[in-house]
Amino acid sequence: MRLWVDRLTTFATLCPDVNPNAQTQRIGDVEVCHWRDDFPDVQPSDIPDVVIEAFACELPATYVAAMSRRELPPKWINLEYLSAESWVEGCHKLPSPTSGLPLTKHFFFPGVTPLTGGLIRERGLLEARAAFDEAAAERFLASLGISPRAEQELFVSLFCYENPQLPALLQCWEEGGEPLRLLVTAGAAATQVQEWFGHPFETGTSMQRGNLTAHALPFLSHDDYDRLLWTCDINFVRGEDSFVRAQWAQRPFVWQIYPQEDNAHRVKLEAFLIRYLEGCDTKVSLTQFWNAWNTQSTPSAEAQSAWLSLMADRQNLDRHARVWAGRLDRAGDLANNLVCFARELQ
Amino acid sequence: MSVKIAGELVSGNVLIVDGLPVVVLTAQYNKSGRNAAVIKARMKNLMTNRISESVFKADDKLEGVVLDKKPCTYSYYAPPKHVFVDSEFNEYEIDSEVLADIEKFLAPDMTDVCEVTFYEERPISVTLPRTIIREVEYTEPVARGDTSGKITKSAILAHTKHELQVSAFVEIGDKIEIDTESGEFKKRCT
Repeated sequence: MRLWVDRLTTFATLCPDVNPNAQTQRIGDVEVCHWRDDFPDVQPSDIPDVVIEAFACELPATYVAAMSRRELPPKWINLEYLSAESWVEGCHKLPSPTSGLPLTKHFFFPGVTPLTGGLIRERGLLEARAAFDEAAAERFLASLGISPRAEQELFVSLFCYENPQLPALLQCWEEGGEPLRLLVTAGAAATQVQEWFGHPFETGTSMQRGNLTAHALPFLSHDDYDRLLWTCDINFVRGEDSFVRAQWAQRPFVWQIYPQEDNAHRVKLEAFLIRYLEGCDTKVSLTQFWNAWNTQSTPSAEAQSAWLSLMADRQNLDRHARVWAGRLDRAGDLANNLVCFARELQ
Repeated sequence: MSVKIAGELVSGNVLIVDGLPVVVLTAQYNKSGRNAAVIKARMKNLMTNRISESVFKADDKLEGVVLDKKPCTYSYYAPPKHVFVDSEFNEYEIDSEVLADIEKFLAPDMTDVCEVTFYEERPISVTLPRTIIREVEYTEPVARGDTSGKITKSAILAHTKHELQVSAFVEIGDKIEIDTESGEFKKRCT
């Protein structure tokens, strides 16, 4: 397995073993290569059996030309972004002939139903999740310098883009009837929480106002981020990766979808909600809160009231989160489904 | 040859895919979130009539082609080919397999002007006029009172023996209009 990455510095943040200055390096079983130029000297003999382009990257023309000159053309797969929309099932695995070249690309869509490619779920994840008990959660919190959960205390993790709804929600938590611990991830979430408190909110510090206590977390590794999700009662996640991990965490979560101009993301959000809430007894509160949380332009008056409704439905949502993870499991995992598909193409 | 942008595909466009001409039957545009806009196209291979589905990124550049078309009339059937003739009496043979959709309306005495499509000077398909007139060879007599036109019965066409549903008032020997796209009875000719 060879992985070409254009921004190794960013990759190194997510995967600390990566040397951002190395042209090639081996991380586990994967050869990581720095994608610097458009492969001007690539030869057909350099082309592997399977070529996957992911996250809307375009293969350079020189590379595609070398692919077309290979004696046995490689299996070429375009791995798309995740979406729960119904059209995805109809496009998953379809061929995409290329103009003028003896190559056919195939589209592969991650998704949440068995008619799609499924979600990333590495070996042992569900077992590790099942083994993570109260004692493990306490140990994890202690490793971050956070005191254990007191009775009646609600733990919430916060990972978000800039969000105009956050101040109203922080106020709601401050004035809430129950103590709430907010575990704030580094970056945009911490910046906004700091602005609301009006004090520096440095990594490892805590701040309190009313019933709200906020902890500023360091940048967490993937494994520790999973533990954070497993520890908290409700998780605020954003984009794609944390959104997927939150689903495997089997806890109620709130998704801030990557915002798009002309609200194109709304369709995607709605499509996921329809799938996610199938068979759930309490659809209204979650839908209302997610919609309020994803309102970009102005602070929504609904955020606070929708939060209170969400809390009233917590038990149901907790149960449903476990049911949902079971459903996802039946769709298989993305990597395995990709390998099976590449074999199908033979 | 011309360049066709996938995002602009509409039904009826003809493309060259894997070296063969295909006609786009439907093109569905999908776009949301961060996903690239994707076009799902249902296409028919004009050489084999095989229907397939493909998907393209909206900005993919595809090889388009404008096919030659010529008005012709049907001449005769020489198994396994049907023969059409143009105004200069040039004959064009087309496999009956390719004409499976319209074979039921090809009669030796027909005078309809058809459109024969050519790819690299090879006839590859035939389009009938939207409406054709055919004679009913057999249909059951109508029961008294069932003449409103709302009740249908089956009828068999002369020559091709094709069976279709017609209004109850249609009788043996009647000439009827047929919609060739839907294959349905339109009306009885007066």
